[in-house]
Amino acid sequence: MVDERTLDLINADVDGELTPEQSQELDAILEASADARAMRAELLRLTNLLDNQPAVNPPADLAQNILQQIKWPEPAGSFSLAGLFSSFQPATAGLAFAAGLLATVSFYELAPDNSPGIDTAGMVGTMVANPENRGTDLADSLSFSEPGVTGSVSLQAGKDIFALEFNLDSSKEVEIEVAFAEAGLGFGGIAHAVIDHKAADESYEVSGGTLRVVNQGRQSFTVFLLNAASDGRGGKEINIVVSSGEVRVIAGVLRG
Amino acid sequence: MNSNIRDQALIERCQRGDRKALEELVGHYEKPVFNAAYRILGNPDDAADATQVVFMKAFEHLGQYDPKYKFFSWIYRIAVNEAINQLKRGRNQQPLDDTEVAGTRGPDASAEAGDLSREIQEGLMQLTEDYRTVVVLRHFSECSYRQISDILQIPEKTVKSRLYSARQIMKDALQARGVH
Repeated sequence: MVDERTLDLINADVDGELTPEQSQELDAILEASADARAMRAELLRLTNLLDNQPAVNPPADLAQNILQQIKWPEPAGSFSLAGLFSSFQPATAGLAFAAGLLATVSFYELAPDNSPGIDTAGMVGTMVANPENRGTDLADSLSFSEPGVTGSVSLQAGKDIFALEFNLDSSKEVEIEVAFAEAGLGFGGIAHAVIDHKAADESYEVSGGTLRVVNQGRQSFTVFLLNAASDGRGGKEINIVVSSGEVRVIAGVLRG
Repeated sequence: MNSNIRDQALIERCQRGDRKALEELVGHYEKPVFNAAYRILGNPDDAADATQVVFMKAFEHLGQYDPKYKFFSWIYRIAVNEAINQLKRGRNQQPLDDTEVAGTRGPDASAEAGDLSREIQEGLMQLTEDYRTVVVLRHFSECSYRQISDILQIPEKTVKSRLYSARQIMKDALQARGVH
């Protein structure tokens, strides 16, 4: 027979939950007691049997069924600009336009590739209709969570337009670089949804085929890039670097 | 990346309406949630139903998720509660069918391994729900005492007490069947 204390120690031992002191205590008990050793061996056989049971595969269509049944919640306090853009078909243009105005979106068309930094504070523009056959699909995304900076970047890819949607929350100033020219893309503009940011710290600059955005706070904006080569959807690799001071928070590639 | 940091980032993206993040979260947790539900319910069809409900509830209440806690603890808690609710609703009264367990193990699983798996599952089903849940979380979901305590919201002392008693019952049950 083994006492309750020994039984507890043996159970904690097979679960890997013994402290070093308890482990020493159990070693001494096991050395002295054949019953304790037999009890431990029996328990180990059982736990090995249980632990080595293979995981059961769920039905192949389970994930798809789950995704189909989930009712997508309305995001609180934010909206997807890229989603709005991709839904901008002629039949829904009026509705989307109204939604754009209500959301006080600022949209810019920056024609020259070497434009200086632009002060976006207070600018209100118009949405442009997404021409037929320019629908976009989510192609790739990155997310990051570092001290002081969290967020995500998703790429919506269309036949001749790409939308990069940034959602950032930073307690300090961050710089985002999007190297669009080396991906064979041209700059199309920025749609900026103001959530909670410090406008005084904000700037955008396009030069040398790279867009640089400096910002701080909670922000959501979408960068539109044009496939000038008209070589069809796919095969684009867009390098994105997010830095805070001298520290790179993320350096990644989005493919679409 | 630490799985908790990864989950937090995915949840934030979900809350911003990123469906790809939702797909990633489902991809990470579909199999563990299904397995926990299967071991508690003893039936793959019921486990699949429970898993669907778990994810629907999780995303319906995503706004209530407190990031101070690990996402996996939160979704396991929903899974355990849902599985136990299904048991209480009496949707799992059919006796375990041999083909159901063997059929879920994949085509390359041996008949002998299928028999052992069935015996173990039957041993599990002989436990009360409280005992079965701690055994499932410890041995099939590989949770620590602390994690089980967080998921079930019971003291660690209670986790240990239930686990030790449950294993004694299982050991006796399997020995009676000539398995252990």
